[in-house]
Amino acid sequence: MIHLFDGAMGTMLHQSGLPTGACPEGWNLTNPAAITSIHRRYVESGADIIETNTFGGSRIKLQNYGLEDQVNEINRAAVRIAKAACGPSTKVAGSVGPTGQLIAPLGELAFEDAYRAFYEQISALAGGGADLIIIETIIDIQEMRAALLAAKAASSLPVICQLSFGADGRTVTGTDPRTAAIVLEAMGADIVGANCSLGPAQLVDIVSALAKACSKPVSVQPNAGMPRLENGQTVFPMGPEELAAWALKLIQAGATYIGGCCGTTPDHIKAVRQALAAAGSSAARTVQTATALTSRSRTVQLGPGSPTVVIGERINPTGRKTLAAEIRNGSFAMVKKEALAQVRAGAAVLDINMGVPGINQPAAMRQAVEELSLLTDVPLAIDTTDPESLEAGLRAFPGRALVNSVSAEPERIASFLPLAKKYGAAVLCLPIAPGGVPATAAERLEVARAIVEAAYLAGLRPQDLLLDPLVLTVAAEAQAALETLETLRLYRRYFGFPTAMGLSNISYGLPRRDIMNAAFLAMALTAGLDAPILNPYDPLIQDVLHSTAALLSHDRNGRRYSETYAAHTAPSPEQDIREGTADILARIKQAVLSGEKEAVPELIQEALKLGHSPLGITEQALTAAMNEIGEAFGQGRCFLPQVMLAAETMRSAFLTLKEALPSLVAQTAGTVILATVKGDIHDLGKNIVAALMENNGFRVIDLGKDVPPEKIVEAAAAEKADCVGLCALMTTTLPQVNITIDALRGAGSPAKIIVGGAVVTEDYAAAAGADAYASNGVEAVKLAKKLAGIKN
Amino acid sequence: MTVYHIPLLALSEQETRRYAGLGGSASFPGELVASACGDGLLLAKPRATWKRYAYNRDRQIIHAPSPALISSRDVAAHLQAAVEVAVLAVTIGPQLEKEVTRRFAAGDYTAGLLLDAAGTTAVEQTADEACKYLAGEAARAGLGCTSRYSPGYGDWAVEEQPSVLTLADGAAIGITINESCILSPRKSITAVIGLAPAAGPTPAGACRSEGCASCRLPNCFARKEPRA
Repeated sequence: MIHLFDGAMGTMLHQSGLPTGACPEGWNLTNPAAITSIHRRYVESGADIIETNTFGGSRIKLQNYGLEDQVNEINRAAVRIAKAACGPSTKVAGSVGPTGQLIAPLGELAFEDAYRAFYEQISALAGGGADLIIIETIIDIQEMRAALLAAKAASSLPVICQLSFGADGRTVTGTDPRTAAIVLEAMGADIVGANCSLGPAQLVDIVSALAKACSKPVSVQPNAGMPRLENGQTVFPMGPEELAAWALKLIQAGATYIGGCCGTTPDHIKAVRQALAAAGSSAARTVQTATALTSRSRTVQLGPGSPTVVIGERINPTGRKTLAAEIRNGSFAMVKKEALAQVRAGAAVLDINMGVPGINQPAAMRQAVEELSLLTDVPLAIDTTDPESLEAGLRAFPGRALVNSVSAEPERIASFLPLAKKYGAAVLCLPIAPGGVPATAAERLEVARAIVEAAYLAGLRPQDLLLDPLVLTVAAEAQAALETLETLRLYRRYFGFPTAMGLSNISYGLPRRDIMNAAFLAMALTAGLDAPILNPYDPLIQDVLHSTAALLSHDRNGRRYSETYAAHTAPSPEQDIREGTADILARIKQAVLSGEKEAVPELIQEALKLGHSPLGITEQALTAAMNEIGEAFGQGRCFLPQVMLAAETMRSAFLTLKEALPSLVAQTAGTVILATVKGDIHDLGKNIVAALMENNGFRVIDLGKDVPPEKIVEAAAAEKADCVGLCALMTTTLPQVNITIDALRGAGSPAKIIVGGAVVTEDYAAAAGADAYASNGVEAVKLAKKLAGIKN
Repeated sequence: MTVYHIPLLALSEQETRRYAGLGGSASFPGELVASACGDGLLLAKPRATWKRYAYNRDRQIIHAPSPALISSRDVAAHLQAAVEVAVLAVTIGPQLEKEVTRRFAAGDYTAGLLLDAAGTTAVEQTADEACKYLAGEAARAGLGCTSRYSPGYGDWAVEEQPSVLTLADGAAIGITINESCILSPRKSITAVIGLAPAAGPTPAGACRSEGCASCRLPNCFARKEPRA
């Protein structure tokens, strides 16, 4: 059966004379007759669900009009007004729109403030007698989660969750329809759907994706086409007949609740009603209900038939002092670094454990989840034994997380399963019984069965469950691996749910744990492991994952395997020759040219041992290399980062030489003062020049950025500068170049002045009285040498 | 006012190479660029804010509480079809540039240079994401967006930066400006975006990045396209 909503309220209110800038919901109290009349027209047009005039009826929206203290009155009045217009079978849906703000950490509105505002409004709508709640036009899944949680807490009415998608098929904050459907169905939405933003043509694919990804009815309320602005007014161009034709296509795509959003009128609804009468019933629907985890913007499917899903285990402070210390002091730099690195290494889910003793673990979990949800798009596994930390993590995560884990211990069953249900999380069932760890596979199967039954009792569904076969240490239990593998096989035979397990316990206490872990991984994958929890950086693990992907037919014909490993060739003979036989000075020069910073100190030591003088090394190898790279840069054959790599290598070489012969410190090519002029805070270019000057033998006094002329004059005199380099990056700071040059000249400084920077030109430099203009750092060095009278 | 913490999931390595002056060099070690992009993600705190104002295109006036006159001919041309403007400010915060300075001081020049380039990529991507958000918002009212246009582009004097920053309320995301009209943190951008009827005459600059075409630095190493 197809259910028909009404059409737009805002469009109708303006037609009824609502002044621009007035509060639409305010009319529920001051002009109820106008609202009733709009509702009645929709009912007469054939709508069987009408929406209350409360789209902006939350405290957060009403405070724009100073009406925040009348949330209850306005929402209750709206239901009353709608009821007055109803026919005998018409239902009233309490409309709840967005707050207009983004939830933290994307925006500034605290999740709890949004939740409270929704709770207050929905309580009033339910108290007023609404038949169902419709949360609509939401552009962020986290705001929808807040509203849905509030709706479930405030009433037992059915809840419709409608998001707004853009032309790219995602909500503004990046959620695709499949991800939305999975998250919202798991959290208990009764109907999921889409409205606004797009016309019906653009919504067909979205409806189809929603219908495939969840088993709940799908609703859709398109605008009357894509809006246009005509003579200062937003106009929706699609007429009733055309919308009605599209309505049938939306039903074919899987919608069973249909209505209209912006620009639709009673005439549109009437046309849709007539089309429905002629066309009949809903389309047949195929739903794919696999186990899936999601982030805000990405769905990861797990289980038999899906590729192996790596759960990265590294965000766990157990036994890691530095990580624990960082979590304790509230800096999450390492947590974030581990997250990015694991994702780069192939982790599709990240396990988050904040088990640092003595800290506020729920707060740490919330912070970690918030930080990571901004940084990566992989789903998270909340790894904790503390119900408060679990709830903090699940509440903050804008997707469907995994609960790691639930054992058969009564307190875990009692506290964790309802939280998983409430927040739509999946659960990893760990077969540890109150009496201890079951030794055999058969016993583990029985304990797992008890957890699964408890999960069903708590309202969870088969697709919410994953099973852990339990991994013990093979050094302590000879049968440990065999029992785990057998448990995996039994799980697959009797349940078919996806499986996940931490791998590394198997090798505890043994040498070369990586070998043991990798072998066990390969065995477990064939026994039915879907999602290993492991250290994704381990090269052997990587090798096993790449090869098993091909062997288990997730990487067809080993295509990706080939791409990954084809490049792994033996070291080239060319390299051997370079390292082995070439002259040591040539090798040092080559090391500088190719930026081998780590290799150069050893080469310098070797050259000294062979009796080369520091001066010889400097001139024939180091300076020669810098000159060559400078030339290559000038000719466009190499680029700035390569010059900087060479400079770093040069620095490393100089430091080694100075260590060996401290007397070298005293020898310089001259003293250079560098500064970015007053008012200018750009210093990257100046820093580059400083690095190059230093590594070409100059003594560099870097005065920094935003340096007043008098300070430059003073330093030039005090340091007996041979050269002053000035830098300005903005048209607004160019005049300071002239002022500084005048000050230096006025003070009688003999130093040569070189100027540069993005906006400085050769003509400008000459007019300002500089001795030279350098367009880049390499040229600055060349000029400084020239001005200081150094050849080469 | 909206403050948006833009999630950046990856920084473009290609753009970072360009900003680092690597041009088309394929021989430079890719892992150094990748590592700078990774560090950039960790250090950047991308935030955006903007305000929308009615715009009188005939008189080139932005109807803010203190109305602002657009004197630049290039900006006026960019906004020729606009009925509204959004004034945008974005930043990635000060942490990244502190790390760049630290790296130079420690002799890690290349890592410093590449991180600075990754910071530029980050702030540009932040601005692009903010524009996408804005475009979605505008589309719901039947408006299309022009590309973003910043003080310093074309003939738009950088001296107008302070008033643009005020119009955007950049202070809300911690952006300040000095007497030389330079924004702090350094990796910050302000811009104006025209909102024009989507079905009307094509707004100037729509679907086209102004980028290099209107820039007056002829020899910039990061130049993507010839000067217009």
